[in-house]
Amino acid sequence: MAHIVIKKGHTIRISGQPRKEIEILSPPGSVALTPSQFRYVKPKLLVREGDSVRRGDPLFFDKLETRVRWASPGGGTVSRIVYGPRRRLDAVIIELEKDESVVTGPAFDADKLTSLGRDRVISTLLEAGCWPLLRQRPFTKIASPDDTPKSIFVSVAPTAPLSPDSDIVIQGREADFQAGLDVLTNLTAGKVHLVRSQLSTAAIFSQAKNVELHTVEGPHPAGNVGVQIHHIDPIKPGDVVWTVTLQHVILLGHLFLSGQVDPEIVITLGGPGASDPVHVKTRMGLPISTLTDGRLKTGEQRLISGDPLTGTAKDSDQFLNYYDFALTVLPVSHERPFFGWLRWGSPATKYTLTGAYRSNRQGTYEFSTLQNGDPRALVPIGAWEKVLPMNIWPNPLFRAILANDVEEMENLGLLELDEEDVALCSFACPSKIDLGATVRKGLDVLFKEG
Amino acid sequence: MGMLKNVMTAMRPTFQAGGKLEKLLPIYEAFDTILFSTDRQTDSGPHIRDSIDLKRVMIIVVLALIPATVFGMINIGYQEALAQGLSRSWGANLAAGARVFIPLLLVAYAVGGFWEFLFAVIRKQEVDEGFLVTGLLIPLIMPPTLPLWQLVMATTFGTVIGKMIFGGTGKNIFNPALTARAFIFFAYPGNISGDKVWLLGPDGYSGATALSIPATVPGEHAVRLLNSVQQFDFSWTNMFMGWIPGSIGETSKLMILIGAFILIVTRIGSWRIMLGAVLGAVFTASLTNVFSSYSTNTMLTIPPHYHLVMGGFLFAAVFMATDPVSGSYTDRGRWIYGFMIGLLTVTIRAVNPAYPEGAMLSVLLMNAFSPLIDYYVVKGHMKRRIAHYAK
Repeated sequence: MAHIVIKKGHTIRISGQPRKEIEILSPPGSVALTPSQFRYVKPKLLVREGDSVRRGDPLFFDKLETRVRWASPGGGTVSRIVYGPRRRLDAVIIELEKDESVVTGPAFDADKLTSLGRDRVISTLLEAGCWPLLRQRPFTKIASPDDTPKSIFVSVAPTAPLSPDSDIVIQGREADFQAGLDVLTNLTAGKVHLVRSQLSTAAIFSQAKNVELHTVEGPHPAGNVGVQIHHIDPIKPGDVVWTVTLQHVILLGHLFLSGQVDPEIVITLGGPGASDPVHVKTRMGLPISTLTDGRLKTGEQRLISGDPLTGTAKDSDQFLNYYDFALTVLPVSHERPFFGWLRWGSPATKYTLTGAYRSNRQGTYEFSTLQNGDPRALVPIGAWEKVLPMNIWPNPLFRAILANDVEEMENLGLLELDEEDVALCSFACPSKIDLGATVRKGLDVLFKEG
Repeated sequence: MGMLKNVMTAMRPTFQAGGKLEKLLPIYEAFDTILFSTDRQTDSGPHIRDSIDLKRVMIIVVLALIPATVFGMINIGYQEALAQGLSRSWGANLAAGARVFIPLLLVAYAVGGFWEFLFAVIRKQEVDEGFLVTGLLIPLIMPPTLPLWQLVMATTFGTVIGKMIFGGTGKNIFNPALTARAFIFFAYPGNISGDKVWLLGPDGYSGATALSIPATVPGEHAVRLLNSVQQFDFSWTNMFMGWIPGSIGETSKLMILIGAFILIVTRIGSWRIMLGAVLGAVFTASLTNVFSSYSTNTMLTIPPHYHLVMGGFLFAAVFMATDPVSGSYTDRGRWIYGFMIGLLTVTIRAVNPAYPEGAMLSVLLMNAFSPLIDYYVVKGHMKRRIAHYAK
């Protein structure tokens, strides 16, 4: 049990914070899985257009690790398979039936879940097509069924802007959540770590059994699982740590208790472009338009699956990503103030972590898609270091990655990082450098090196 | 403003690919984004970004330099009036100083801007904003009597050799403004040293700077010697205020401290470097004081707090050493880098009577060493990380 206090960082006060209430969304007509979002995976289809599938039937598998399959998030007909450039598999769309048929696998008693044994859990998860719920650090990729992680981390302390409130998500799902944690304990020789916000009031988070409980306080990225691993059980060369998101633990628990894939998730619809920011209860892989229809402010908006720091821009006919639990609506602005860089600035027009403008210190700020500057060569004024609460120096790391120096990347701690951990660095950078992209480039190099 | 925007928009096709002046696109873009903030959209990485950009960083440094600049102009006029035995109002002094300084400033910006645009066009890169600061720094670290043609040479050298051959702002090894000063120092030493160049006045009028006085009289105590000077008031307070001869921007320590405050509050200048430099100077000066009784070198007797207000040390520590590109980029490295600048400044002052002003050269020297400092600091960091793994 540890209490982590994070000092460096910043919780972005973006406007359009979702209300702390759950709205129930009417069911969408279709759902989809987007294979191209999974990195280091070569998806191969198992279904064709026109096939009818049950919820839980595998839609595709990974050619590189053939045991890993993806369960269909819904039951119905495969209405369309979308290919992107170079025949990249972009989406498998399923037209939902009124009465969905569901695959029912083996179910287990709640009190036996901790003693299922590793092999049983792994085979059940692989069989159910739910293996991709488990991801590993380093590399933030789908875990390998052959690895035994030294620990498993579940962070229920979201600090990324516009993330769903864990206390709201967990309401009514406590039993599934505890079951999920119990299942996870079979998979590691070490501990399952549950990290909650110090401000969390949900009893289940402070009373969960069979896991190591931790609390964290401080600004973003305190809630990032990478930061928590770094402070609780750091990744050394050769280590593998697995991570599972809160809602995927719930899904996992439900799967073992009932034998069925439960597609229900709670996500947020928020951001300056959302007319009524709120938590919504809906299902995995939903089309973005069902969420945004009639809920956007007027004007051109960018729709983002995920939070504004790490999310992916989507068209309204595309679908929410697998690991995302937020939909951010960001106004597209083409405003070009006259001599903007000479102005004093005001809290309504500027938001900066430096003191270079009279900017927002309280209240929320209406961010847009403006980059607020053109890209430049790195001028290290220390902006990155102030928002990375890890014993990792972003600046030398950046240089090591650019120099393609594998040994130095490793020694500087690249394996402990993910794009999301340095997203604030990119946010704060006066040269508008996307450090996350560089970090991923370095991780790709290390991954190839093996 | 709307009209201006329309004009700029109407001109855009001329500069874009296929247009008549497509080669000059970087120049158009520079003016366009100076007039109206860029509307570039985020594409990769975070969809939202901080409001700061490099233009703002640079303009904040310029803002921090303005107090020293304005005072520098007044002081030029004041010293000129003093030389002629006149008593003038502040306004008249400012006007007289501006007549000297503004041409220097315009020439520096024009020449530097020319090279910036030329390289941007040749390299098809955007014009970077580093020159906003360099163009102001260069005249500020020159004596007011510098011939304009020498400034043209120095600015060219500083911009091209100090920055452009490395690829522009963010990639340079040396501070371009200091490179310009070093050029003058080695090419035209007579125009940047001695006792004639720091003041405007009748022909043959001269006035030594506070640093060169103890450098030339051996076996004295520096403070006593300075207090005995009739021509100028070399008391600590007056040197702090800045009514003394020297390079244009460096004389008023008060104005420099205001600049330092702006840089630190806006988080653009590194307080570690500034404080490190002051500590280095104080430490070394205390050491020279201890050993001063073994030597007739008067420079050894300058007390630490005098070192801070004499010559260009504080200006160098606040505006030159803190250049984030040519200085150290690790926090620990910044302490070492700053400390060494202070140490070298006082050392050069004390043991090199031929050139008593060491601040600018020590920054330049430490620019060369900052990659080495960072190399070892980063190496130490990696070592500690590996040791941490082993636990």
